[in-house]
Amino acid sequence: MMRAFVFRFKKNPELYIGILITVFVIVLILAGILFSPYDPDEMDAGAKFAGVSSSHIMGCDNFGRDLFTRLTSGAATTLLVALGTIAIGVGVGTVIGAFTGYYGGAVDEVLMRFNDAVLAFPSILLALVFISIFGSGTWKVIISLGIVFVPSFARIVRSEFMRCKNLDYVRSARLMGAKDLRIMFVHILPNTLTVLMPSTVIGFNNAVLAEASMSFLGIGVQPPQSSLGRMLSDAQAFLFMSPAYAVCTGCTIALIVLGFSLLGDGLKKNA
Amino acid sequence: MLEVTDLNIEIEDSLIPETVVYDFDITISPGEIVGIVGESGSGKSMSALAIAGLLSRKDMKKKGSIMFEDVELLSVERSHLRKIQGNDISVVFQEPMTSLNPVKKIGWQVEEALRIHSSLSDEELRNAAISMLRDVEISEPEAAYDKYPHELSGGMRQRVMIAAALICDPKLLIADEPTTALDVTIQAQIIELLKKINREKGTAILFISHDLSLVRTLCSRVIVMNKGRVVESGPVDEIFDSPKEEYTKHLIEAIPRFTKIAGRFDTKDAKPILKVENVSARYKKITGYFVPGSRGRQVVKDVSFDMYEGEILGLVGESGCGKTTLGKTILGMLDDTEGSVVHYSKMPQMIFQDPYGSLNPTKTIGRILEEPLRIKGGYSKEARYEKAKDMLSRVGLDESYLSRRPSALSGGQRQRVCIALALIMDPKLIVADEPVSALDVTVQDQVIKLLIKLNKELGIAILFISHDLKVVYELCSRIIVMKDGKIVEQGTDEEVFSNPKDPYTKQLLSSAGYGI
Amino acid sequence: MKTILKKAASFIMTVLLVTLFVFIAFDLIPGDAATNRLGINATPEALERLREEMGLTKPFFVRYFSWLASFFFGDMGISYSYGVSVRSMLASKLPITVTLTVMSFIMIVILSIPIGLYTSKYEDRAASKAVDILGQITMSIPPFFLGILITYVFGMIFKVFTPGGFVSYDINFGKFLGYLVFPSIAIALPKAAMSTKLLKSSILSERKLDYVRTAYSRGNSTMDVLYKHVLKNAIIPVITFLGMTLADIVAGSLVIEQVFSIPGYGRLLISSIANRDYPVVQAIIAIIAMIVIIINTLVDTTYKVLDPRLRGS
Repeated sequence: MMRAFVFRFKKNPELYIGILITVFVIVLILAGILFSPYDPDEMDAGAKFAGVSSSHIMGCDNFGRDLFTRLTSGAATTLLVALGTIAIGVGVGTVIGAFTGYYGGAVDEVLMRFNDAVLAFPSILLALVFISIFGSGTWKVIISLGIVFVPSFARIVRSEFMRCKNLDYVRSARLMGAKDLRIMFVHILPNTLTVLMPSTVIGFNNAVLAEASMSFLGIGVQPPQSSLGRMLSDAQAFLFMSPAYAVCTGCTIALIVLGFSLLGDGLKKNA
Repeated sequence: MLEVTDLNIEIEDSLIPETVVYDFDITISPGEIVGIVGESGSGKSMSALAIAGLLSRKDMKKKGSIMFEDVELLSVERSHLRKIQGNDISVVFQEPMTSLNPVKKIGWQVEEALRIHSSLSDEELRNAAISMLRDVEISEPEAAYDKYPHELSGGMRQRVMIAAALICDPKLLIADEPTTALDVTIQAQIIELLKKINREKGTAILFISHDLSLVRTLCSRVIVMNKGRVVESGPVDEIFDSPKEEYTKHLIEAIPRFTKIAGRFDTKDAKPILKVENVSARYKKITGYFVPGSRGRQVVKDVSFDMYEGEILGLVGESGCGKTTLGKTILGMLDDTEGSVVHYSKMPQMIFQDPYGSLNPTKTIGRILEEPLRIKGGYSKEARYEKAKDMLSRVGLDESYLSRRPSALSGGQRQRVCIALALIMDPKLIVADEPVSALDVTVQDQVIKLLIKLNKELGIAILFISHDLKVVYELCSRIIVMKDGKIVEQGTDEEVFSNPKDPYTKQLLSSAGYGI
Repeated sequence: MKTILKKAASFIMTVLLVTLFVFIAFDLIPGDAATNRLGINATPEALERLREEMGLTKPFFVRYFSWLASFFFGDMGISYSYGVSVRSMLASKLPITVTLTVMSFIMIVILSIPIGLYTSKYEDRAASKAVDILGQITMSIPPFFLGILITYVFGMIFKVFTPGGFVSYDINFGKFLGYLVFPSIAIALPKAAMSTKLLKSSILSERKLDYVRTAYSRGNSTMDVLYKHVLKNAIIPVITFLGMTLADIVAGSLVIEQVFSIPGYGRLLISSIANRDYPVVQAIIAIIAMIVIIINTLVDTTYKVLDPRLRGS
């Protein structure tokens, strides 16, 4: 039993370390949100840049807000934005990819050309285009980033559908009289998951980074809502006085990204 | 020259270290051709790779002794081993496409061993490579020298592999299933080439194959392996004519040969089940919709034939002859076709060649078998279950398989499930596209017998598509021979086998060893 | 010849689509150029006159093509905020962004290729394992955080450079380059770690292929197998990655310019988005998209040189 686990761990350490880090981060966030005695936005002039102590386990920021509480609520915002982004990206991308990949034809050709054109933009840049059209704010960031993530998932799902639609088990389902929609979503879709799952996790990571960069630039999530990117941009102004502020915030982002990228690698290896 | 004693190979890179070869012994004298036969997983390739020094020293633990001339290959320094590899011992692998480096020119790859083991100039290397390419009967060696592997046909690539292996005039050539990926006519040519090399250069050959009849034509001695152990060894004729061990007997019995297994079928009073008239088919050409492209290559050209209820009709030809495309056309799976296909029965079904690709890997066998009933509708949950169970028992698998997934089944079991799946719709006609060619010979034999049984019991007509004339002979009373998309000959087995009219049919028959 | 034509056709197609996309995006923004120039208090008549003058009432495709044509001839419109031509604003900033991009790209290449080769050659050594772990952590650090860390450690503690002390290239080119070293490192390190990992995994998976076994059977040493057989095959996905990276650096530099207060395209873009200075935003985005398309085309061509299977036929 133990030996079997050690063997599995040795075969795919990324997966297990990734799970460990991700669970750790999520537990911390939940702990901060549920059990912290402070409000993330509550200011305390007396506690400005307070150091680490038993009452403030990571100290305080420039307004005397408890850093740990703010970090956890900021991380929650970042993760929720990323989750929304990925839900839009994977959901819409899968439907587009499934239909274009399965049917092919002129519509596919046009959509894919368009897709390639959109993919030619670095994702942040594209998000900036949408933000400049829609304006900033949490929901608008989610929608902008979501649209940006659609093409890459559409491409992944499309190529999987193109691969699968000519496999013998799909042909045999067709011979039995299965309708197209049934073939696409009952027969082919479950087979794309081995490829789609790791891409989703890695996409989630990119969404975290994109949100953080946008908020860092001041065009993402707007105050008073906190997000990790926004906090880091605040922290930069007080870098000399309170380096711990920036380091704690930055490390939180890095830890989230590390956890998910290991998880993604591990899933890929497992597939 | 080569003496292997008590070779044991253990794979350490898994949860439980697994021994894959037990107490393997072999001796090869200069100029001799020795064969190793066995089914997949018998350890034959593993043993050969160990002799060639190509098994990782890290993950594979080896015990015993491999003496080549005066060198113990298992314990010799890597640098010394490299002097032997490619120079004294060289290897030809099964799949010439993947075994050649895709981004290097043919000439460079043929010269390679010579470049490593000698200090010849570029000019001399080139001359040696070109004369070697000529020796393996490549028609334009100078042109081939500057080509890349993907620009050659499969047979040509295998010749290039052989040329590259022989460039240093090795004492021992290890050929690991060198003809398995090739068509029968090409297969026969490669075997001839190996014989010629052995005769003219005196190269000893260790020939590894699953194909017993090939081993018989080529080798003087043979070793039979099963599950990592040597079952029996000795002179070829002795093993084939009077095998001692049960497994060897079983294996030899399973070899398809030109003997009838199925009963005769008379078309005189039979009702037609399929009428194919002037059918042509093209592949869909993949070009942009905005780029005006020509239609795809024509794969089936003006083909006509009839088929009758309860008949097993053989459709033979080499790869690329259009037989699979014809099968798909009959079942209406292609878009760009001409001519008429008339079915006199509903719901013909198909059995595919690759039992790994024809079952959805994410679903259980039960779910797969019930799928056609769900699509059709009108069956209760219990009725579906009963029917699936019933079909499985018809193909010789029990109820417990219903909850398994395809990945937990062997190739033969999967092919049985595919047959059950085809049967569940109660078809009167099944198109079977190379249903046994991906299977080991003993499993192949079982599946053929199963098909014959189902044909007899249920009266299902089978269009049996195959490249293997022996299997077709076993099963079919009427045969169609295809080449380059056309039917070159069709008739009863007597007409086609005993009295072939078309030169291509004759060539096929002699490559397959008919009448020898 | 035919392939070149095809390539050119698809290149032009992509350029048209991308520019069309940019044009549509900015056409959708509520409030047109006339309103922006005259302000919200302008009379409808005056607006109408200006619209007519600026060609805003013409059909969509006429406007698109005239915009495209003037864009390619260097006329990118007038900035709403500064009232000067966009072209003059962008021209002076171009060397800054290009230098930053090129410096980071060179760093990525010279770091990742040797390290990737080393770790795949000596897979089992402790040093390789340490590099792998370090790389995994490095690639998880967002570049802007890395920039902040570098500012703190090298700028504030060791005082190797002055944070915010950017010197323009036309004043002192040496100091200009010197200042850009640290931002380049912030951009390059995470990407170099990714590229190293990709090269290693590409080499390792390539090594499992049949032709490698053939190469060993001819008597090649491990080094010869790596350099003469594996590398040319394994480098192909790395080239793709580096191509994509080049595009990513352009985008990544937007954020890094903010961290290090470098007045390149990035800062201009962000401030223009905040000020709703659409001609500037549109021009920058169109230029970056062009650069990305050109890079992609170059990467495609490199493939054909490296992989004979993709040539001709």
